Amino acid sequence: MPRRTSTAAILLEAVLVMAAAAGFAFAANQLSPRGLKLARDYFPSTASATHLPPKVSPPADTLPASAHENSETAEIDQRIKGKGLQPIDRPETERLFHDPRYQQGLVVFVDARDQDHYTEGHIPGAYPLDRYQPEKDLAVALTPCLNAQQVVVYCTGGDCEDAEYTALLLRDAGVSNQNLFVYGGGFNEWSASHLPLDQGPREGAPPPAKNQ
Amino acid sequence: MNNLSGKAIDFPTVAGRWFLGALFVYTGLEKGLDPVSFLKLVRQYDLVQSPFLLNSIAGTLPWFEVFCGALLLAGIAVRGTALTLAGMLIPFTAAVWHRAAVLQGAQAIPFCAVKFDCGCGTGEEFICRKLLENAGLILLALWLLAGRGRMLALRYSLSAGTEPSSSGGRSAATP
Repeated sequence: MPRRTSTAAILLEAVLVMAAAAGFAFAANQLSPRGLKLARDYFPSTASATHLPPKVSPPADTLPASAHENSETAEIDQRIKGKGLQPIDRPETERLFHDPRYQQGLVVFVDARDQDHYTEGHIPGAYPLDRYQPEKDLAVALTPCLNAQQVVVYCTGGDCEDAEYTALLLRDAGVSNQNLFVYGGGFNEWSASHLPLDQGPREGAPPPAKNQ
Repeated sequence: MNNLSGKAIDFPTVAGRWFLGALFVYTGLEKGLDPVSFLKLVRQYDLVQSPFLLNSIAGTLPWFEVFCGALLLAGIAVRGTALTLAGMLIPFTAAVWHRAAVLQGAQAIPFCAVKFDCGCGTGEEFICRKLLENAGLILLALWLLAGRGRMLALRYSLSAGTEPSSSGGRSAATP
């Protein structure tokens, strides 16, 4: 009988701990400046319908490096197209970066990574737009995107889907789908190709394009 | 003399309680301070479809862990907290195992060669090592649940008069 009482007391204690921890946890998430908005759909249903299974690829050592890269690129392009968006590769992204229209604001780059990554390095002239905290960034980036003929959105690249969801966010905000392009290779591919980079916060218009 | 040897026996368990508490505080803070990364990791498990549920798990679970870890560090409601943590660790470990099995099938590699970030707050790890770690943590939580680790506890039990006799030392709050 005392054991039963003790077991009941432990169970009751666990329930109290869970209730207090849950209250603390919801309050902490609410008060944290980086907290999630619980009611927001961070992964809109356009994507859930095309949610892909884990990568099915043979071990890396059975494929030549180029074949591995090609299969990964094709997979990313398929994922982007699955969300109703247009993928763009590195040569084309580079061409747009050097296009004179970039200086005129007719081509716009949007960096969909968070503030810290943007500050560490970004494509020169790109607008930061962290879709998880879009309130501030969207107000700055939306007008140039609406006025542009081509908008290139990128994030880290590879498995990162933030560029796609940011493109969807811009589309929902009124940017024409025809003008939206997602650079699947992302920042990692761009920087690995030794293309121009800027650090720190965004400053005015994009600088004249030149290779590093 | 008995009391001294009891304390000597109980001290490793108290160290275990502090270790488990500190680990949960650390990993909870790692995830709680970067909830977006944790959200993406939780989404990989494909456990829930509702955005509200997904956000609730990713936004609150890390702080839940921090709270429980702090209770263990302070020695408050130790057995209730240990039961809560064991109740969390067991299904989490099963989910990590399942995810690893899916990745193993997709990549056609040996199970122990599967390496991924399980969202446990410790970055990318090989699955077999992760499972062993979790098994150790579950055992530690169950050991605390069995009534150990009461020395240097602020308030070992929330309900007075229901504590079993201990072979170890006594709670600071227990006369």
